[in-house]
Amino acid sequence: MNNVIAQLWPEIALFVTTCLVMVVGLSKDRGTRKLCAPISAIGIIVAGYLAATTSVDTATTLPFMAKYGKVLAAGVGLLLLMLMAGTADRQLEDAVDRGEKFEPLRSTRAEFYAFFLFSLMGLMLCAGASDLIFLFLALELTSLPTYVMVALSTRRDRSMEAGVKYFFLGAMGAAMFLFGFALIYGATGSTALADVAYTIQNRAAGTGSIGPLALTGLVLSLLGVMFKIAAVPMHFYTADVYQGAASSVTAFLAFVPKCAGFFAIMLLVGCAGWAFGPDGYGSGTALPPELRILLWTIAVLTMTVGNVLALLQTSVKRILAYSSIAHSGYMLVGVIAGPGPAESTLASNGLAAVLFYLLTYGVMSVGTFSVVAALERRRRATAADAAIDEVDHIDELRGLWKRQPHLAAVMVICALGLLGLPPLLGFLGKLPLFTSALGAGEIVLVVILGLNSAIAAAYYLRLVSVPFLESGEPSTPDAVVPTPFPSRALAGVVAAVLVVVAGLAGGTLGSHAERAGTFRFPTKTMEATRHASQPTSTVSVPPDAAERGPNAR
Amino acid sequence: MSGLAGQLAIMHETLGSLALAAGDAAHAQPRFGTGVGAKFDVPRLFGLIPFIPLLACALCGLCAAMKVKTKLPAAITVGCLLASFGLTIGLYAQVHANPGDFAIIHAFEWINFQWGQSEAQSLTANFSFYADSLTALWMLFVTGLATLIALYASEYMSHDVGQGYCRFFMAFSLFVFSMACLVMGDNLALLFLGWEGVGLCSYLLIGYFYKKPSAVAAAKKAFVVNRIGDLGLSLGVMLAFVQFGSLEYAEIFRKAEPFLALARDGQWQDIPWTVQLIPILLTIGAFGKSAQLPLYVWLPDAMEGPTPVSALIHAATMVTAGVYLVARMFPLFLVSEHALTIVAWGGALTALLAATIGMAQFDIKRIMAYSTVSQLGYMFCGLGVMGVMGGPAHVFTHAFFKAMLFLACGAVMHGFAGQLDLRKLSGLGKMPGWRIVTVAMFVGCINLAGVPFITAGFYSKDTILGDAFANPAMVPIGWILLITAGLTAYYTFRVFFRVFVGPAYYEPGDELHAHDDHSHDHAHANKDHGHDSHGHGHSAWQPHPPGWAINTVLILLTILSFAAIVTVFKADGWLYRMVTNSSAGAGIAADHHHKFFGFDAHAAMKVVSGIVAIAGIAVAFVLHYSGRTSAATSKADSLVPMLGPIPRWAQNKWYVDEFYHFLFVRPLWLLSVVFAAIDKVLVDGLVNVFGWVPKALAKTARPLQNGVLHDYALRMAGGVALLLLIIVLMVNRGDRTSAAASIPPTDNSIGTLPAAPAAVDPIAVSLDPIRAKAQEAVR
Amino acid sequence: MNTLFCTLAQSGWPEPMPTGTLFHYLVISAAMFVIGLIGFVTRRNLIIMFLCTELMFQAAGLSLIAFSRFHLNHTGETFVIFVLTVAAAEAALALALVVLLFRRKESLDAERWAELRG
Repeated sequence: MNNVIAQLWPEIALFVTTCLVMVVGLSKDRGTRKLCAPISAIGIIVAGYLAATTSVDTATTLPFMAKYGKVLAAGVGLLLLMLMAGTADRQLEDAVDRGEKFEPLRSTRAEFYAFFLFSLMGLMLCAGASDLIFLFLALELTSLPTYVMVALSTRRDRSMEAGVKYFFLGAMGAAMFLFGFALIYGATGSTALADVAYTIQNRAAGTGSIGPLALTGLVLSLLGVMFKIAAVPMHFYTADVYQGAASSVTAFLAFVPKCAGFFAIMLLVGCAGWAFGPDGYGSGTALPPELRILLWTIAVLTMTVGNVLALLQTSVKRILAYSSIAHSGYMLVGVIAGPGPAESTLASNGLAAVLFYLLTYGVMSVGTFSVVAALERRRRATAADAAIDEVDHIDELRGLWKRQPHLAAVMVICALGLLGLPPLLGFLGKLPLFTSALGAGEIVLVVILGLNSAIAAAYYLRLVSVPFLESGEPSTPDAVVPTPFPSRALAGVVAAVLVVVAGLAGGTLGSHAERAGTFRFPTKTMEATRHASQPTSTVSVPPDAAERGPNAR
Repeated sequence: MSGLAGQLAIMHETLGSLALAAGDAAHAQPRFGTGVGAKFDVPRLFGLIPFIPLLACALCGLCAAMKVKTKLPAAITVGCLLASFGLTIGLYAQVHANPGDFAIIHAFEWINFQWGQSEAQSLTANFSFYADSLTALWMLFVTGLATLIALYASEYMSHDVGQGYCRFFMAFSLFVFSMACLVMGDNLALLFLGWEGVGLCSYLLIGYFYKKPSAVAAAKKAFVVNRIGDLGLSLGVMLAFVQFGSLEYAEIFRKAEPFLALARDGQWQDIPWTVQLIPILLTIGAFGKSAQLPLYVWLPDAMEGPTPVSALIHAATMVTAGVYLVARMFPLFLVSEHALTIVAWGGALTALLAATIGMAQFDIKRIMAYSTVSQLGYMFCGLGVMGVMGGPAHVFTHAFFKAMLFLACGAVMHGFAGQLDLRKLSGLGKMPGWRIVTVAMFVGCINLAGVPFITAGFYSKDTILGDAFANPAMVPIGWILLITAGLTAYYTFRVFFRVFVGPAYYEPGDELHAHDDHSHDHAHANKDHGHDSHGHGHSAWQPHPPGWAINTVLILLTILSFAAIVTVFKADGWLYRMVTNSSAGAGIAADHHHKFFGFDAHAAMKVVSGIVAIAGIAVAFVLHYSGRTSAATSKADSLVPMLGPIPRWAQNKWYVDEFYHFLFVRPLWLLSVVFAAIDKVLVDGLVNVFGWVPKALAKTARPLQNGVLHDYALRMAGGVALLLLIIVLMVNRGDRTSAAASIPPTDNSIGTLPAAPAAVDPIAVSLDPIRAKAQEAVR
Repeated sequence: MNTLFCTLAQSGWPEPMPTGTLFHYLVISAAMFVIGLIGFVTRRNLIIMFLCTELMFQAAGLSLIAFSRFHLNHTGETFVIFVLTVAAAEAALALALVVLLFRRKESLDAERWAELRG
């Protein structure tokens, strides 16, 4: 039990921070209230530090993913936190500035930051999940706060609409993967992921297939989780929700649930394992054929639908939403490719490639969204109140280079990064996806991936050219001005610098992802130690597995 | 400056021991193999040397973003470069303590790519730095000079304070970072990154005055010509990787060892031609970057950039990258039968050609540019004639005095509103405030001319000449270089005698047509910056002498030029040890020729080249100083008609540009027209189709996104159902085909759902007694 | 604890389910799930839609309990407790959201919220 707690220190730190933030955010003193963000930042940093220093000890097939995922969540979470400045309670604070009395009941600041931290905590838990119950709770903890964040992010009807769509469709997705989990449990008699994996693959070794019930369970739960990563067929909500939510929250949606979804997908698919070949289990390094077909179809449809629909959009946030769909499709390619042969590197390990891509995508998407978040439309010749709106239409970025060169540069760098232009981080992220898929023999998939990247160029170059090359003022009657929250622009600049610098020096990051993607086949030892009375302390063997086994109570 | 008397006293000793010393250098440390010693450790701190300038670049970028209107970017750059220089000295101390060995400082992992299990199927190129004495030598003058020149530029660029100032120092710092990567990288990939990086910075800085068409054209020319060289380099790097399976120097040198042994025995036929091709390809790269025949044409035009840039990038550091490449990869050059010969002849012909062009130019900055090309030729000869030491040594001494010459020219240009024509300036030394510039120019000139015994340039040039005559195969090159030495002395002092002494006279340059920054659009420069003091209206115009920053830098460089003598005046002096203790030292073992030219080649050259230099100066004195009464004319003008059309040809740079234009640019242009037509019909057609298909797909898919919540739910549920159906169908088909192989469910109680895994799974049953018991109980 | 259960199992306690029951439970659970899904897709009232998702959750819960009984361990039952908790949290969220939405448009019709599209 101590070992479980030892791995949860980052989440515990975040939880303590959350409690603190909830109290602090209600203070009548303006200065104290403003402490929410710094306290959250400190909490995230502490959590990240704890995550980086705790020992690796999870009883799953991906033992090293937890650490990587938690540090990743903390790192990108920090950038996202910078974007969040001023999202909650802006009108209320403005009113207080004009001399109105502060009403704690009307304030949403405390909840907003608390939900932010809760969701981040859910993401961290997802990365370290070792049990289906654990995974379910972590996924729900990631999602539930985001529903509220979306609905509360602005006071417009659009946010409400986005919130309601997100919540209801999300609940449907959750029900699906919950039902899938139930079936998996039914097929294996256990919810511990290591046991599930062992039982399923053991059976596959005996019978040649993973069994219909386990398969149905896996397929249902995967399809449910597809909601989190916005993959076909669960992608319909994406554009509407991304457009309706405030830009900072959209950036959050583009990273946190997606990340959690991919952690869950890798853990679930890992239960079936990548050991199938033409002669059944153990004769190759592919997924079970049914799962392969499923993920293959989803990946191809997802990237194509995302890229194709993005072409017609005029809203920056919708373009980015569809691009986010497409990127999920790209990453699924890595899941299909699997961990490759033993001792594989980043170039041949698809899981490591996915983990690395999550990092690159997180940084680049924060950068692009920060440009939209750092600008606002102010209605000319009206009162200050209620005259502020989000920047959304791509035309509103026109000539940005002349007015806010740093934001234009961020947009250019991050959009080119998302496109995957060579010296930038995005290229470094995409390359292992290509090579791992090639290594797994998925030639057709690679060709489709390449074609899709070419289609994507059309709309990314639009994002580059409009702020950078097209001159003149936006044709809207409103003035597009920077928000009074410099940290939003700073987040973008930091992201852009990372995209360039890490593009040149991605090797170190890549080696972390490479380690995180280490896939351990569930072995006899794992099962045997479950029953061993003597806990051992090696990394590869979960010492307390015996306590968590299905029969030990 | 330790005084002439001391110098002369040492001179005797030097001359006497020369015959021995040249041989001693080879025998003092007998070297085998590639000349690479053991590995030692240095603190990782020194890995920061390249990154501090990068930080400076970022900070200057921040300044640009924050619209800083002060000299802050210059202060940042100078500070950071000084820190980098300090670290370099520390690194030098470490290297000095371990002569002949090398260290690898690992900064971080960069490229690590594997496509198979075997070692050969991987490409590793880390951001690691290779530190040996050659690295230390180069980094010492790169960071040192960069610091000084940044200080100089802080004053020189002051009229442009604002965005342009930040931009300048950003590119400047980025250049130092790239150069450091080039020099310090422990693998060819990092070298290539640095190589492209310095090329980019050079492009950016040549085109700094981007509103001036000639600057833009020059930048483009530099870029295009360098691409040709880069093609050679990249092919060479790839071939090296194919041949040696690695890009890391240590690994390459280790694997080249067997070839080196063959080469030493003269068994060229046993060395694969692909291995022999590598150095030749690298040479193309080196010739492009270092402006050698036939790729030298970009360097004189590159003088369109601000003068500090010309001094740092196009005289002292970047253009020596080619020399560095040859010196660094010297073990590979030794395994090729012809590579060094090509290097030597390329260098010698360039030296001569550039010197002849330099003689006929009137623009003093251009003369300096051609002298740079010519001196670079010397350096390549120094390597090509297998003397090894002379090349890098000349790089080192040349860096100081040539930077100084450029900076002095820059001061003239800055003070006289862009005037650079030596016919319109005269007797500057007599004008108030120009004393330091004149002294600096004089010191630079005697170094470049190679005045015997009191200049560092003399010793390093002399080593090259001596090495050339010592190698029996290279005697013709020696003669070419000797002639060039005379020409060099002449055109150098032509500038000095015309511009700095003689009757005082000046014509201010026309700012609008000047070569430098004064042509820059003043509209966005600071109005209050004192521009009214010069430039607008020639009647009230006064030249403004250089300020403290320029003078300080010139004084420091003067001192350094003299101080450099200490490093070179002995044949096994500090500088030579620095070279021979590195991978370039591999050439020493091959240097066993002692061909006499009546006397010992080195000793004889000390005398002969000294005489030639003084003779050149004397000619310049007679033609351009004695009895000259006006700025525009001299006695030389009366001699010009006697030479027929040759001076005009030389003045027009032997029509090389026109020749290239006719030979390459025209045919390529025609070809591009043809390709453009093909492109329009075929490729655009394809692309249009390619663009149309996704749009059509999008238009069909878009109605699905109708915004209605339960329509979305329906589509999602439908999609899930469809996918589930596909899976179920697949499973059923699979069951029919492999029904025999799989164990059918035996548990009747479950019905159609085979959902009792524990019951049908013997392994699970055996491992799980309780569950097995439970299953029994269920039944 | 372990030994206790072992003994109990050996002595035939707890009483095993009658044959065939698991199948029946699963059918009911699947039916509940599908009914919930169909309801979710066809109904336009937000509260009913939410109730349908609850139905889907409880369908999963039902099958979890059935499996738990089948495997004779308590994992599934534990799971169900957590599921109930999460469902409660979701219910709170849903009702709050519905109230918020109703205040805006005085209607619970989901189709009224279709401004964002394309």
